[in-house]
Amino acid sequence: MIDLLQLIFGTPFIVRALIAAILIAMIASTSGTFLVFRGLSFMASGVAHAALGGAALGFFLQETGFFPWFDPVLGAVLFAVLVAVMTGYAGESGIAQKMEVAVGVSFALSMSLAVFLMYYIPSDKVLVLWGYLVGDILLLTNQDVVLLVITTTLVVAVILMLNKEFVYVSVDYEGAIAHGMNARAYHYVMLVVSAIAIALATKAVGAILVYAILVAPAAASNELVKSVTGVMVAVFSIALFAQVIGIMISFAIAVSPSAIAGLIAAFSYVVALQVRRIRERARDQKLFEADKEETIPATFEGVVVPDDHSGHNH
Amino acid sequence: MTTEEQLAVPLLEAQDLAVKYPNGELALHDMTFSIDAPSFTAIIGPNGSGKSTLIKTILGLMKPVHGFVRVLGHDSVKDSKTIQRLIRYVPQRDHIELTVPMRVKDIVLMGRLMKKPPPRFVSGKDREVGKSALKRVDMIDLWDRPFPELSGGQRQRVLVARALAGEGQILVLDEPLAGTDAESQKMIVEALGEYQRDFDVSIIMVTHDLNPIHVFVKHVLLLRNTLVGIGTPCDVMDPELIKRVYGPAAEVVEYAGHRYCITPDSGVDRHD
Repeated sequence: MIDLLQLIFGTPFIVRALIAAILIAMIASTSGTFLVFRGLSFMASGVAHAALGGAALGFFLQETGFFPWFDPVLGAVLFAVLVAVMTGYAGESGIAQKMEVAVGVSFALSMSLAVFLMYYIPSDKVLVLWGYLVGDILLLTNQDVVLLVITTTLVVAVILMLNKEFVYVSVDYEGAIAHGMNARAYHYVMLVVSAIAIALATKAVGAILVYAILVAPAAASNELVKSVTGVMVAVFSIALFAQVIGIMISFAIAVSPSAIAGLIAAFSYVVALQVRRIRERARDQKLFEADKEETIPATFEGVVVPDDHSGHNH
Repeated sequence: MTTEEQLAVPLLEAQDLAVKYPNGELALHDMTFSIDAPSFTAIIGPNGSGKSTLIKTILGLMKPVHGFVRVLGHDSVKDSKTIQRLIRYVPQRDHIELTVPMRVKDIVLMGRLMKKPPPRFVSGKDREVGKSALKRVDMIDLWDRPFPELSGGQRQRVLVARALAGEGQILVLDEPLAGTDAESQKMIVEALGEYQRDFDVSIIMVTHDLNPIHVFVKHVLLLRNTLVGIGTPCDVMDPELIKRVYGPAAEVVEYAGHRYCITPDSGVDRHD
């Protein structure tokens, strides 16, 4: 056992992967949770793909020598923020459906741009670009981990500080404004901070893992857990569990840890739906029995029980 | 401002008010009226007659394209921050998002915390006021229950309690009686009527159906994209006027010294 632990913590790439797993779980429990509350889970995938488009633009501008200083990571963050702002603008009326459309359009736009620019980027850079899509948590560099630590700290700090504001804006946008809250500002802050975190997480572990981990655990927890804090804790646990199991299985068999983590995360939602259904059935059963118990003593106390003709006395 | 001056300032004062829907259509036009404070005012009219638009304009959520409306002397555009301090607002029930796992207590405390500066911590007084507001609508037993799991009528009672728990001289409610069961309707109407009497606040309520609140209401605004009628409930219940607004199927009946209106609209509203 001790040997195994020594092996794990003595291997830098495993340590980096585990740290990244914890950080991504923290992003999921903050950003992911609030995006699901806002009815915007789709934005996680939109932003992750926008990051891909932005990175493609970055590689293109660097390679062609137009703007050698334009780092692909900068492109990824810029595009992600752009999607967040477009989504935010569409959602200023407080209607979630409009935001979904904005996400969809910017998703299409940035993916098309990425595919378009790929032809003009040297093939070794195209491989790096693909990393934004399918990335590998086991191939992280120290720089990736540092970027991820910074962005996680930012998003966790902002969401812990403003969680009541974000909740109120999500629950009752109109009411929040009418009571003097700057709902618009909170609305944008939430979307932009989430977008930055998603973009940098995408750079580190790839779009597919990011949105599997950001959306599914939050959706699953929201089906079962009845408080905001509870949902956040549950999301963190599911997300971390899925990723750690993914990393462990990838040592046993030749498989991408992202794929396993994504599958576990998605499966958690299916399980949550089943558990919810069973719970509801049990509750209905209990209510039915309670009804029966209430009616019987009532007759003993001489209360008139409605007969078959009640409700027909027109 | 002294109390006497405050009394002289009308609760609502509109002059040539015109407001457009976001799609550019005219929602309200040529509205000129004045209502004294304190009041229990009902805004009635058929679907699409601009009732909610008038409320949103008063709250500063929509801007007039012409004219102005003042709330206790404050202009709805220029002084919107001042008005927002005076207001407690209950939007239409289906505007409350149910995807967030809020409990009944969270919704009620929201009424107090929305007006606090960040970090909006809950004080003992907040809890106390929140509980007494829930008692007024007979929902105190559900303090810890998940809000999305309540019935429509129960949710509406909790939202009314949110307004009762808040602070501010004016309560604005958008369709608080629509689609609620008879018991909840009675509870809400009585809670609001008693609260208005006890605390000397003003209430502005949009409703399809004036009948349940008839005895509490002081002023009625009858709308059909402009002001069609204004006065006491019985003034507005003029058969001619009602038929003009709601169509020929509408009837006015007298019962226990009050005039009530029967429309296909309100009929549907009250029995679902």
